[in-house]
Amino acid sequence: MDYQTGLAIAAPLTVGIAAIGSALGLGKAVGSAMEAMGRQPEAIAKIQTGMIIGAAFIEALTIYALLAFLLVMGKIGA
Amino acid sequence: MTAKILKSSFGLDFIQRTLKTTGVVLLVTFACGAYYFGFYDALAYFSAGIWSMVNLIFLSALVRTALKPEGVDKVATAVLALIKFPLLYGAGYFLLTVEIFRPIPLVIGLSLVILIMFLKAASRVLLNLDVVNQEDSTRGLA
Repeated sequence: MDYQTGLAIAAPLTVGIAAIGSALGLGKAVGSAMEAMGRQPEAIAKIQTGMIIGAAFIEALTIYALLAFLLVMGKIGA
Repeated sequence: MTAKILKSSFGLDFIQRTLKTTGVVLLVTFACGAYYFGFYDALAYFSAGIWSMVNLIFLSALVRTALKPEGVDKVATAVLALIKFPLLYGAGYFLLTVEIFRPIPLVIGLSLVILIMFLKAASRVLLNLDVVNQEDSTRGLA
């Protein structure tokens, strides 16, 4: 197996694994936020802010994985 | 006797302040970047920064609309989700695949909001801006 075949297998796997990790992290974050809102309704604004920041970080990591994928795709078949 | 209390400014206005700061930093660095690194790199950086700002605005609106204990506004949530996921992500994919935009300025532009968010939060913690001294209210009772 040459390195280009390895890249062609690894690149989509990378994005897939990143997407799965992000989905799990986001799911846990939303679940915990809903639980915290139920326990402390007076702290909703702070919980939502934390939730938004966490979601932005998680999304950014997935976008980096997609960007790395596109960079690697440019090397395949070159 | 004084007591230290925590006066947190970590409310929803934190996102608004982050967006304003990002906008200002983006405009200033776009002008400098266009002069020092070339117009297309600066444009890639600027476009990615604007995209991440719009993404944060929609994310914030979506969380505020969808995650509230008194009930979900289904129509507003659906409209926001329909704008954010297909349209905004389509625009992001377009940015990533445009030939004239190099990846490094795109990564820097996409990271700018997060960097500013981190720096704003870190500065508040390091400078103790959320901790204020307060006169002990029990002093007068003695």
